[in-house]
Amino acid sequence: MPRQIWNIVKLNFKLEWRLKQSYFAVALYTLISAYLSYLVFNGSVSSVVWNNLFWLILVFASVQVSFRSFQLEAERRFLLYFGLIPPQVLILGKTLYNFLYVLLVGEFTALIFSFLFGNEIHDFWAFQTILILASLGFASILSFTAGIASKASDNPALPAILSVPLLFPQLITLSKLSKEAITGFSWELNAPFLIVLALLSLISILLSYLLFTYLWRD
Amino acid sequence: MKNWWKALAIVLIFYTLIMGFLGDVVRLPILNETIRALYFHVTMWFAMIILMGAALVLSIRYLSTEKLDFDLKANEAAKTGLLLAFIGLLTGMIWARFTWGAFWVNDPKLNGTAVTILIYLAYFVLRSSIDDPKKRARLAAVYNIFAFVMMIVFIGILPRLTDSLHPGNGGNPAFGKYDMDNNMRMVFYPAVVGWTLIGVWITQLRIRYKKLAQNHE
Repeated sequence: MPRQIWNIVKLNFKLEWRLKQSYFAVALYTLISAYLSYLVFNGSVSSVVWNNLFWLILVFASVQVSFRSFQLEAERRFLLYFGLIPPQVLILGKTLYNFLYVLLVGEFTALIFSFLFGNEIHDFWAFQTILILASLGFASILSFTAGIASKASDNPALPAILSVPLLFPQLITLSKLSKEAITGFSWELNAPFLIVLALLSLISILLSYLLFTYLWRD
Repeated sequence: MKNWWKALAIVLIFYTLIMGFLGDVVRLPILNETIRALYFHVTMWFAMIILMGAALVLSIRYLSTEKLDFDLKANEAAKTGLLLAFIGLLTGMIWARFTWGAFWVNDPKLNGTAVTILIYLAYFVLRSSIDDPKKRARLAAVYNIFAFVMMIVFIGILPRLTDSLHPGNGGNPAFGKYDMDNNMRMVFYPAVVGWTLIGVWITQLRIRYKKLAQNHE
C-alpha cells in the first residue's frame, strides 16, 4: 500500500507538471497576495502582523492548491482509479501530495515575506516544525473537503466555504505558536500545542481514510 | 399516551420560565441576576449538542443503509440544532453585554460558537448545491460526520488549552463549582431536558411537513 500511495503522489506530480502554468499560477497567487499586503501596509509590518498575514495568505493559497488536485482530474479517470486501487489509497496519496505542495507554498510564502517585510523569524527550526505540522493539517482537511467540493458542483466558493471553518482550530493554534517562533520559542511550554496540532491532523486523516469510501460510491 | 413527552416538554419549559425568573439564585458579584442566563443560554448549547449528535447518528445510519429517510431527518435535526445555536448565541451576547461590557469578545468559547455556526451553514450550502438527492444525501452525510468531529475538537479541547473569560475556563467560576447551588440545579437539568424535547418536537414537525410536501409533489 505505501507503494501505491507513492505512485498516486508521483502521478499527481506528473499530471500537474504537464500543465506547468498550474504551479506558476499558485506561485503568482501567493506573490500577488503578499505584494498586495506590502502595498496596503506601506511596506512595513510588526512581527505580529507579519505572522498573521502569513497564515491568512497560506490558508487561501492552500485551498487553491488542494482544490486543484481534484479539479485537474478528468471525470473518467476516477472510474479507472476505482477499478485499480482502494479509495483509501487515493485519498492518502492526495493528502501526501497536497502536504508536499502546501509545504512548498509555505516555504515560498515565507521567502517572499522575508524579502518584502524583512526576516522576522527568530527561531528557524521552531518555525519549520510549525510549518510542517501546519501543512500536514491543512492538507489532511483540505484534500478531503476538496473531494467533497469537486463532487458537489462547480460553485467556485464552495471549497473555501466548506474547509475554512474547519481550519479555524488549526489556525488559532498555529498563529499563536508561530507568533512565539517569531519572538522566542520555548519548546517545553509549547509542546502541548504541537501535540494538539499533530493530533488534529491525525484525526482528520483518520476520518478521511474512513469516509472517503462513501464519497466515491457513484 | 404516546405524546406524553410533548406534555412533559411543555411542563418543563413553563417550570423553567417561572423558576428561572422567580426562583432563588446565588448572589455573586458582577454576575448578580444575570446568572439566570444559565437556564436559557447554557441549556441551549446542551440541547444543540444533543440535536447535532442526533444528526450525526442519522448521517452515519444513512451511510450504512442508504435510506433517504435518514438523510431528511439528519437535515432537519441539524436545522433545529442551528436554530438553538442562534438562540444560544443571542442569549450569550445579551449576558456578555451586561457582565463583560461588550456583545462580542475574542474568546475561545465565542470562536467555538462562530465556527459551529459557520460549519453548519456550510453544510446547508453544500446541500443546496447538489441536485441529485442520493448524491446530496451521501456528500452531506460525509461532511456532517467530518464537521461534527472537528467541531467537538474545537469546542471541547481547544478552550481548555487557552485562557478564556468565559465561566468554566481559566479559573472563572462555572456551574458545578460554587456558583450553582442545589436550588439552581433543580431548574438547570429540567431546563436541559425541556429545551431538548422542544427541539425534538420542532424537528419532528418539520420532518412531517417535509414528507407531506414530498408526497404532494
